[in-house]
Amino acid sequence: MPMDRRTFFKRSAGAALAATAFAALDMKAWAQTVTDAPVELKPSLCNMCTSECGMHIHVKNGRPWKVTGHPGHPVSRGKLCPRAHGGLQWIYDPARVKTPLRRTGEWEFEPISWEQAADEISAKLNRILEEHGPEAVFGAQYPRPTGNLYLNRLMHALGVSTTQTHEATCQAGRRIAMSATLGAAFDADWENSDYLLFIGRNMGEAIRTGAATAFARAIERGAKVVCVDPRLSQSAAITEWVPIKPGTDLALLLAISNVLVTENLFDRSFVSNHTNGFVPFRRHIQQYTPDWAEEITGIPAGKIRDIAHGLAAAAPHCAVDTGWKAAVGSCYANSTDTARAVAYVNGLLGNIGQRGGISVPPGVILGQPEFPAPTVPDGPRNDGAGTDYPLACTNAGLPHVTMERAQQGKVKAGFIRHFNPVRSFPNYEHMRSGMKALELLVVFETHMSETAIEAHYILPEPSFAEREEVVKPVGDTVAMRTKALRPVHPETKSLDESIPMLAEKLGVGEYFRFTLDEWNEALLAEQPFTLAELKREGTLAATVSDEPVLPEGCGTLVPPREQAPKTRPRAFLVSNDRNGPRPVPQLFTRSGRFEFYSREFERAGFDPIAKWYPPETGLELGSKEFRVVHGKQAYHTHVATNNIKILAQITRDYDATRVWINRSRADELAIRENDTILLRARNGRTAEARVKVTERIHPDMLFAPAGYGNRTPYFEVAKELGGFNPHDLSDYLREPISGHTMMSELIVEVEPA
Amino acid sequence: MAKISRRQFMKLSAAGSAAAAFVTAGREAPAREPGTQRSPAANPGGNPRMALLMDNSLCVNCQSCRLACQNENNLPVREKYIRFDYLEQGSFPEVEHHVNRHSCQHCADAPCVEVCPVDALYKGAEGFTHLDFETCIGCGACRAVCPFEVPVISTDPETEAPKMYKCNACKHLLAEGQTPACATTCITAAVDYGTWDEMLAKAEDRVRVLRQDYPDANVYGETQQDGLGLLLVLRTPPEDYPHLI
Repeated sequence: MPMDRRTFFKRSAGAALAATAFAALDMKAWAQTVTDAPVELKPSLCNMCTSECGMHIHVKNGRPWKVTGHPGHPVSRGKLCPRAHGGLQWIYDPARVKTPLRRTGEWEFEPISWEQAADEISAKLNRILEEHGPEAVFGAQYPRPTGNLYLNRLMHALGVSTTQTHEATCQAGRRIAMSATLGAAFDADWENSDYLLFIGRNMGEAIRTGAATAFARAIERGAKVVCVDPRLSQSAAITEWVPIKPGTDLALLLAISNVLVTENLFDRSFVSNHTNGFVPFRRHIQQYTPDWAEEITGIPAGKIRDIAHGLAAAAPHCAVDTGWKAAVGSCYANSTDTARAVAYVNGLLGNIGQRGGISVPPGVILGQPEFPAPTVPDGPRNDGAGTDYPLACTNAGLPHVTMERAQQGKVKAGFIRHFNPVRSFPNYEHMRSGMKALELLVVFETHMSETAIEAHYILPEPSFAEREEVVKPVGDTVAMRTKALRPVHPETKSLDESIPMLAEKLGVGEYFRFTLDEWNEALLAEQPFTLAELKREGTLAATVSDEPVLPEGCGTLVPPREQAPKTRPRAFLVSNDRNGPRPVPQLFTRSGRFEFYSREFERAGFDPIAKWYPPETGLELGSKEFRVVHGKQAYHTHVATNNIKILAQITRDYDATRVWINRSRADELAIRENDTILLRARNGRTAEARVKVTERIHPDMLFAPAGYGNRTPYFEVAKELGGFNPHDLSDYLREPISGHTMMSELIVEVEPA
Repeated sequence: MAKISRRQFMKLSAAGSAAAAFVTAGREAPAREPGTQRSPAANPGGNPRMALLMDNSLCVNCQSCRLACQNENNLPVREKYIRFDYLEQGSFPEVEHHVNRHSCQHCADAPCVEVCPVDALYKGAEGFTHLDFETCIGCGACRAVCPFEVPVISTDPETEAPKMYKCNACKHLLAEGQTPACATTCITAAVDYGTWDEMLAKAEDRVRVLRQDYPDANVYGETQQDGLGLLLVLRTPPEDYPHLI
């Protein structure tokens, strides 16, 4: 029976009605036994963003009623952000995928059985593999242990080497830069720092819960905290805000380095004993004076000196936060080198592994399950990671490049899990037409996302509250998601069921002859607790490694394990004694030293030392032009959460889909608060948006609250919210070093609509 | 009959017949729970007066408190006990942005308790102002006298009766010795809960630090309405905020 959108919603309504009746019955039973009906605290991991906070779902008679943070989990530390609370409605969302679906037309589907879906998928995939080889196939997902195990293992078993993640729209530049310079992307020890400098990172609104708690703790303690941001974000609002011209953070960081070097404020002991290339770096950095940077960034030279002096005075108990996305991840042509410059300042401060400085967390010792594993294929990838983009991390890949190859007929099939590249990557039409060109797209999803609705087959997953997953090392703990609720939709299957089923049909079942419990027990073999105990507690303190634990990095940048130097303490050994000796940690670069001069970058044809260059779109704007920069709101995750009524209500209450515009610029263009404006990109594409007129933003910039403008017709609440999404205007771009998407290289001309 | 919160009311409505939950204006005020009293003055029986402390200088306005509160108190989607006021001062690049939590201030001298024609509002053992959701007729008399424009009159979707919505300091959690949901979840620990004296002292300590950068930083709530059960740390004078006096 074909199911169009209307039928889908009728079915949803029916299911919702049934759920309501069931709930009413439950409520009655509950109220009658109000004293003895137990509230069960089921441990889980939130899935409303990728931080996966440990939490307890409070369940009464099978229904969740609230969530609280797991006190032992290092990311939540007993707290939860708004999305975790809103997540309870996500479980019962009408746009859930309830049964396997087969495409019948544009965004239309009919339910089919798992058996039939698996038969058809394997027949089509086998034909594609025979005709076009494994290079014509990709697997993509948000990288988390369960998907990493099942989906990547399936791809590897089939000889497919193109496995991908979201990273080209996230921290791609940062990871390469940090791997080449420090060996890994280090976090700051925010809580214990005396001086923290944030480059565009918005700790309070792009939330990792425990990090936000530590950030606030530093402020409360009286630490100096500076947020460099073209916009006065909620995080900048509780610190010292230093506004900057968007896309020029690299100049600021080079100038801070200049002050530290020329005024002899750097850690001479660290630099002389543990770094490579300082002499050419010192020569190179002379040109980047604070006065030079003032011209570019708009930050007064005196302020730049103040920041450098403040950091030096607090060294080594200070840090330039290494960021995530923002200016150092995937926004600008110069983001990767901006991240290298962040590393330079930290290196000069000698704060690596020091209290209040930067360090990597310890590695939990995980057992090695001994079930037969496929060899990791070394055949060509279809996205150019490692070849066209020699430094790009091959465990992250470039999905936007794969979509170009799909449009050219070179990529034929894709498997996507819990990932929405159609709406979360720049240039919606580029991504969508790539997906549409595929002969087979299979999406494992909980909801009818923009990517799911382009699929030939949608395979329904239980929500985070209804499924158990692979155990996850987090800091010095192991955490896991458990089945807190019975499946709301009984036809859903988690990856540990669906992938082995597909694998059997595809003739590679031999690699999946283990249960999830068996796999988890093997991983926990060296831990002082059992799987049963972990299921009961959700998060437990773990045994951490004494041997060097190499970070999962970029293949060409991280040395093989046997090359890792073992003569110095590990990078995660934070030196906690402020007055005692300061052991300097081992670094995971190829040389084991901090690289001011990167031979890896040089070999790949890039500058061995980061130098200044502007964003690709330049810094000169016309009288009606603005740079569009997007960023998170605390209560939404990308485009994933707009259909959650209780979160959408916040957007409504504060009229929060509006695009921000600087008041003076708005006045010049005769634009008033709440007006609708027309945005015209340099490529000619147009869109409309309502505006919030504010002093809190740089005159060059329009701020687009990230994640509005859903295109999936199945998200009814999101559709009502509407909103502007910059991906409708942006170009398909690749930054040369990492291949990232350059999400803020978008200039628009603005006029009243 | 004991006083009931909106949350308990929901439970009972689900259990019993909805009609039984209807209340009329002529209804006699139910007996007070032991250990509760009307404002103002200190609490009886040696109960220490408790307070919520909102340190607005640490708030990133993530709205987690609002959400945790909505779930904890079983609120309909559009109702919220916690709202925010915003203040943008100066012009680019010399700009400041301030937030302030706008929710029930839990006045010691609470005019809403005095004026409620059906005695649905009352002071609890910890000094907070609670609402008997069942008794409330949604007349809005409380809203008319509230110094802070807090009460919201809205239709209860379950019964379609008009009701008043405001923070009840998670009365049911306090009864179990727990902390209000907003304080438990706050990701920056801007919200705290403890005895009134402790919270006031903590707020004063914080203000001393803040005054280095914000000379007008202040604690709001020590004296207003004979003392507020929701104390505020503000970086700028209270009169800057639309709902403060």
